[in-house]
Amino acid sequence: MNLVRVVAAIPEAMLILALPPLLLNIAVKIKAWFAGRVGPPWLQPYYELYKLLNKGAVYSKTTTWVFRAGPIVNLAALLTAATLVPVLSPDSLLGFPGDVILLAYLFALGRMFTVLAAMDTGSSFEGMGASREVTFGTMSEPAFFLSLIVLAIATTSLQLSQMVGPHLYEVWHTVGPAMLLVVGALMIVLLTESCRVPVDDPATHLELTMIHEVMVLDHSGPDLAYITYGAALKFLLLGSIMLHAALPHPEWPLWVDAPLRFIELAALAALVGVIESSMARLRLNRVPLLLAAATVLAALAAVLTLTGSMT
Amino acid sequence: MSAQMATNAVLVLVILLNLGMLAVSRLASGVRLFALQSLLLAFLPVAEEMLEGEPLGLHALLIGGGTIAIKVVLVPYVLLRIIRTGEIHREVEPFIGFAASVFFGALLVVGSFAVASRLPLPTPPVSKLIVPVALSTVVLGLLTLVSRLKAITQVLGFLVLENGVFILGLLLLKQTPLLVELGILLDLFVGVFIMAIVVYHIRREFDHMDAHLLDTPKES
Amino acid sequence: MTLLLLVAVPVLFAGMCLVLPTSPLRMAALVAGVCSHLAVVVLSWPATELPAARDIVGLDPLGHLFLTLISVLFAATAVYFVGYHQKRLISQRVFQACILGLLAALSLLCISQHLGVIWVALESASLTATPLIYFRLGPKALEATWKFLLMNSVGVALALLGIFCVAIATTKLDDTVVLTIADLVRNATHLDPTWLRVGFLLGLVGFGTKMGLAPLHSWKPDAYGEAPPPVAALMAGGMTLGAFAGLLRMFQVCVAAGLGTFAGSWLIVFGLLSIATAAVFIVGNNDYRRILAYTSVEHMGVLVIGIGLGTSGSYATMLHAMHNMLNKGALFFLAGLIWRSYESNQIRDVRGTLIRSPLTGILLLAALCATCGLPPFGMFFSELGMVLAAAQVGRWWVLALFVLTLAVVFVGVMTAMLPMVFGDPPDTVAVNSVQVSSPRWRRITMLSAATVLLAFGFGLGTYQPKPVRDALVRAADSVYQPRGGDVAITLATEVHP
Repeated sequence: MNLVRVVAAIPEAMLILALPPLLLNIAVKIKAWFAGRVGPPWLQPYYELYKLLNKGAVYSKTTTWVFRAGPIVNLAALLTAATLVPVLSPDSLLGFPGDVILLAYLFALGRMFTVLAAMDTGSSFEGMGASREVTFGTMSEPAFFLSLIVLAIATTSLQLSQMVGPHLYEVWHTVGPAMLLVVGALMIVLLTESCRVPVDDPATHLELTMIHEVMVLDHSGPDLAYITYGAALKFLLLGSIMLHAALPHPEWPLWVDAPLRFIELAALAALVGVIESSMARLRLNRVPLLLAAATVLAALAAVLTLTGSMT
Repeated sequence: MSAQMATNAVLVLVILLNLGMLAVSRLASGVRLFALQSLLLAFLPVAEEMLEGEPLGLHALLIGGGTIAIKVVLVPYVLLRIIRTGEIHREVEPFIGFAASVFFGALLVVGSFAVASRLPLPTPPVSKLIVPVALSTVVLGLLTLVSRLKAITQVLGFLVLENGVFILGLLLLKQTPLLVELGILLDLFVGVFIMAIVVYHIRREFDHMDAHLLDTPKES
Repeated sequence: MTLLLLVAVPVLFAGMCLVLPTSPLRMAALVAGVCSHLAVVVLSWPATELPAARDIVGLDPLGHLFLTLISVLFAATAVYFVGYHQKRLISQRVFQACILGLLAALSLLCISQHLGVIWVALESASLTATPLIYFRLGPKALEATWKFLLMNSVGVALALLGIFCVAIATTKLDDTVVLTIADLVRNATHLDPTWLRVGFLLGLVGFGTKMGLAPLHSWKPDAYGEAPPPVAALMAGGMTLGAFAGLLRMFQVCVAAGLGTFAGSWLIVFGLLSIATAAVFIVGNNDYRRILAYTSVEHMGVLVIGIGLGTSGSYATMLHAMHNMLNKGALFFLAGLIWRSYESNQIRDVRGTLIRSPLTGILLLAALCATCGLPPFGMFFSELGMVLAAAQVGRWWVLALFVLTLAVVFVGVMTAMLPMVFGDPPDTVAVNSVQVSSPRWRRITMLSAATVLLAFGFGLGTYQPKPVRDALVRAADSVYQPRGGDVAITLATEVHP
């Protein structure tokens, strides 16, 4: 814990908090370019968040405190998780051995409250979205956990910043192909959790085809701002985990590491934009197959690492 | 890249392709996945010799070339032709469902790794993955054969089983290459040839290729 | 030279069957081919010395015995076939060529001493037998053919996997071991036991599928039910013997390596399971050809139990193998006659054979008694021998289950098939009954083939002439002592893992 790190933590935290909307806008811009349009201005998401925060919220008479609490708890959980995930540097803001379990539960807490808020409205659209979200979440969790297990075995640590930090760079070649499988699984989990094509189309306006957007149909004003920002933050966090696992950096100084990570994140967002432009969304009854594939990839990587067959 | 790393990479891809064949419902996709798998396996004997710095033996070339000629070119061509002329393009939902069979297949892969860990080899092999991957390929081939309904998919399951036997035969290339060649290529060539003929008859006779519909109740 | 002739003669005549223009000529070629093969086999007795350590092919006592049995069966079937009225052939040329091809493949199986050649012969036998099942064309025959082809191909592939495992077991030695039985037996104690066990189990599954051991038997009822009866006779009496020979080769290697108890126990498990399965499916079954298929499953089970019981059981096994061949041949020939006469597979349609065609009825009764193990037919003595062997090694549970399941099979077969012999023939005879239209000489030919086999079964039951007895004894000894006394292994001095 040297002084440089402590001093650099505050700007780093502010940068992490400011980044998510920009990242998603990169994906939107890429999709627009594919369609031959220019797309929204770069800072458009920030303007929209500002607009939403200044509006008033409308609450339905059928809702209770759960509905009001949902977006807030979700955002709080994700902000807490943000302190555990290394984004722009090898270290996370806070970290302790075993924090990967807390991370998983924070994600689950956020998801649970979103689902509960959706069901609290009593509307059938939100209920449908809630059931889909929970089903696909159930199937993507094993993939996520198995990938974390592989990383934990490879780096013999349960602290997230250690698991995807410089230590991984040293042990990468001993697990080789298993890491590729893990990266594949994490990519599919990323697309599922942040509700991207091929699991869920964020740009659709047909409620029957939505998963995430339909859960938040009734939120307005600051609540909607929290939810939008929270989704972007989730994308950032999961994307960071994936990038750190896919491209581990050795011990480089901070002024080299941080911009490099920023470029990688931007590239990831661009990649997601390309995927969204080139694929159609999967039929809903084929999504479990995709998630089963992710789980299988992660399970295979776990088996290969556990049996030590790669050395 | 050492021979071990190359073999490891190929064998991991082989497992993925096996599970992929369990997941696809289009018959043509299954045949192409099998062709890709056979192509990867055909390169293994040659790559092993090249990367270890030995001169290329005749047997390795023969096995590699024969595998490509039969398993990558001839057999997929015959099967794709049957699919096209039979106009049967998709597998119907099997007894245990696509997603469930992928899960079950993954479980079987884990099981075969466990069993293989109890079978230590007398001489150290080029890659520790050979025995588990061979075992899992055989088991997944059997799973495809038993759980699928279309005759073409059952033939595909048999072919995957043969691939699994081939993988185990890689351990014997130095000792008894003739046995491996004979076994794999002769068996495959003639066996699949006969199977194609019978499938042709099935299609002509029944106007479909559902092997499970052939099961008329008997023991009355 | 003899060995070459044994395989080349059937192949040569098969080629003739394919090219000869007229049907009688082709039939003559078939009979001539089979008879010349039998002549070569007869001329090869008395047996010469054991094959050398690195010979790929050679005649050891076990192979010689099985080869003779197979050849006799093929000869009887060829005679039967002359009388068998055919309709709706797939192609007579292909059919006859495949019968001779099957003979060639089975001869190769019996004379081969190398595991790889055994495997090639097994695969060839499987492939040449496939068109034979599809004889009658039509959906049911096609289904039976598909099941047969798929299951046998899987079995053969697993047998290959087993042979690979045995080969892996030999890599433990520094110098290369040729995969001949003799060489494997000589080096057996130095082979890797784990891989040898895995290889044996896989070989048991693979060869067992070909033999029709439960639980790998499900192709048998369909195949034997749909194939024409002479083909079913060949498969039940000949092909199963060939597969059994292959299994015994792997067993020889295991015994020499000290794994006799392990291998024997698995053989007994599969054997008891086969007899029990046959018992379950025979009771209440209405199709007599399927019942015959299940009796074949049962007899395969008896064969492997005999081997599994140790040195005392192997003579009984060889005796049983001989009588199985004679019996199955006769039974299926008679089934063919009944099928021609009554035009039905179902037992309820077949009544009063004794009245309709007395000779057929008497022979059927005799054949049923033989199959169920009644004295004075041979199977009684072989099964009694196995009971005594089980008592001798103290395996009381095996003995009890063996006797119990055999009793159930006896009851099942008799209650199902005795009504076929007795009773009044149905009034409504099928309009297109072939019995009416087939000429006398055909029926006489078919009946005589069945009679000859049954007579041998009767005669060789109580008394075996010295040459026959010697051959059986030498074959039985060779299972546990493949090199004739060089390697004296008894079950008591085994290596326990």
